[in-house]
Amino acid sequence: MEVIQTALERGVPALSEHQSKVVLGAWGIPTTREELVHGAKEAVAAADTIGYPVVLKACSPYLMHKSEKGCIRFNLNTPRQVQQAYHDITGSVDVEIDGILVQETIQGQRELVMGLTRDPQFGPCVMLGLGGTATEIFKDSVFRVAPFDRIEALDMINELRSKAMLGPFRGQEQADLLTICQALVAIGTMALDHPEISEIDINPLIIDPKGRVTAVDALVVL
Amino acid sequence: MTPSSIEESVIHPIANPRSIAFFGASNNFTAMGTAIMGSILSLGYKGNLYPIHPKEETVQGIQAFKQVSDLAHAPDLAFIVLPTKIVCQTLEACGQKGIRHAIIVSAGFNEVGGDGKALQNKLTAIADKYGIRFLGPNCIGVVNSHQNLNATFLPYEASKGFIGMASQSGSFITQMFSYMARFGIGFSTGFSVGNEANVDIVDCMEYLGACPHTKVIALYIESIRRGRAFIEAAKAIIPHKPIVAFYVGGSEEGGRAGFSHTGALAGPDPLYNGVFRQSGIIRARSIEEMFDLCYALGASPPAPGNRVIIQTHSGGPGAVAADACGRNGIKLPPLSPKTLEKLMPLVPHTGSMANPVDLTFSKNPLDFFQTIPGILLEDENTDGLLVYFLASPGMIQVALKGMGVPGDQAEEQANAIITQQAHAIANLQKGSPKPIIGYSFLTRDDSLLIRALQDAGMVVLPSPERGARAMWALTEYKRLKEKLLAST
Repeated sequence: MEVIQTALERGVPALSEHQSKVVLGAWGIPTTREELVHGAKEAVAAADTIGYPVVLKACSPYLMHKSEKGCIRFNLNTPRQVQQAYHDITGSVDVEIDGILVQETIQGQRELVMGLTRDPQFGPCVMLGLGGTATEIFKDSVFRVAPFDRIEALDMINELRSKAMLGPFRGQEQADLLTICQALVAIGTMALDHPEISEIDINPLIIDPKGRVTAVDALVVL
Repeated sequence: MTPSSIEESVIHPIANPRSIAFFGASNNFTAMGTAIMGSILSLGYKGNLYPIHPKEETVQGIQAFKQVSDLAHAPDLAFIVLPTKIVCQTLEACGQKGIRHAIIVSAGFNEVGGDGKALQNKLTAIADKYGIRFLGPNCIGVVNSHQNLNATFLPYEASKGFIGMASQSGSFITQMFSYMARFGIGFSTGFSVGNEANVDIVDCMEYLGACPHTKVIALYIESIRRGRAFIEAAKAIIPHKPIVAFYVGGSEEGGRAGFSHTGALAGPDPLYNGVFRQSGIIRARSIEEMFDLCYALGASPPAPGNRVIIQTHSGGPGAVAADACGRNGIKLPPLSPKTLEKLMPLVPHTGSMANPVDLTFSKNPLDFFQTIPGILLEDENTDGLLVYFLASPGMIQVALKGMGVPGDQAEEQANAIITQQAHAIANLQKGSPKPIIGYSFLTRDDSLLIRALQDAGMVVLPSPERGARAMWALTEYKRLKEKLLAST
């Protein structure tokens, strides 16, 4: 893929969030509507198109854990807030950035994490787990060695301790299990087709009240 | 590749040698090699055994040879229990003689690091030069009960069984001999794989997959070296044979360096969990459980579903089994109206015809072992039975004496009744596609009933929890098998 090739030539350690999502999107994984901008006016225009509230994030292949570095502004409801956030982020970020990402806000209380790691004995391993801030507390995560099919992906879902969360839950609809399964299979195929990808994180993958799933943040490590 | 027949397996001569050149046995009975050769002799190995010894004329009464080149023909197998420093030259001599299979018990190779690693590389280079396949080094040997071959240092006390095992710890081959004997079960073949310098756990698994005496495979795993080959081998075996693994070493956390959350969460335990599940392997939570599940999976048909009836004549053991079923995802359906109708004349008013079915006592002793389980098995809403066994010969003798039977005859008659009852329920199992799992607090050493049941092929485990867990394994095997068959 071109975006991977360019990044390799550039010598960066990872794809930026935006590039990561371009790659994941090409493999059929639903991602947030977003635009990479290079000025405050452009940011407002993008927010107007996407619809408020929006999220602004610094976008860089050198920023692997954005939330820890204060490079994100959530819940921006007006052009003025977008402008302010744009200046705040560009003023505080201390690494080379590709631009600022203006992103739709996905509402949903249910969060998953998906990813890829490479094991010296087993090769590419795909993970599914409880996402968001609970990921490292509950460690409810399951793995499969790629390749595998949708039946096996469904078994991953069934293996989660928190699987009940994916069914109809407190007035929210059942999660789109088919898309989750296809995303898991796709990550495995991607890993086999692209040995240059060493790791992937999709965290969080938010499930909205209608059950739709969206990759809200993503990281492809080279 | 899983061999299509066991003879085609590249390691067949390791478990089925027609002749063995034995290095390291002497007439000194404290030596490890001597003990192993003693085990081979005492189990009645039928092949030819050629002790190789530089000084002795005979070893344990068998003619010895000064060197392997003195033998008239190349034996199938070289068994090497020699000091580390002369192992390589011995394997070289075996290669020159034309021996193509070996078991190397000697230690002091990769596992000690440093020079040991270089020595192991030398060993594998010699094997490659001659096309030798060898088990070990640093292993405990092999046992094939159906060939009367016990090439380990402990006496084989178990029966000619159906559990095929490959173990990364020698202890869980040899030290399980007497443990298995407590259930009347045994190994078909057991491999201690040691350092896996040449033959590894995947090779052994493939052999066991093709072995006609092996109905179920047990694996003790600390680390899988050929990860992807392991998964492929298991997937090829599962459609016709269950595999149970116990994995240890999974508690270390975050061994992988990386940038992602995924990498941080990929500790060995969750990774192996996924590997087992996608390969169709049932993961046991303890060594005891591994043998329990192998016992049930080897002796019983897979459960068609997860609905079970519990049959007991004691309340507590029935309630505990019901509780354990709940925690293992096993459903306890109510009895169908047809079953109730057939059961009513047989169950006293003190009993319960809910599920668990608690008979308290049965009007005719054979009802408990034949008529009632027969009716319950036919219930269209059930996929299997869990049966609590209590009766001991002593109880029956007391009853017979009470009926006026003289003491010596009472014992004989009690034993005859028990054997008849055991065979009745075992025959019921043989004629049914649904599993019957027995459980009891008695063992085969306490109770002739338990012994007779187990010897007739019925699974009897030592507690309600273990019985329920075994039933779970029978449903899980079916689920895993169907998942694999549904995948493309």
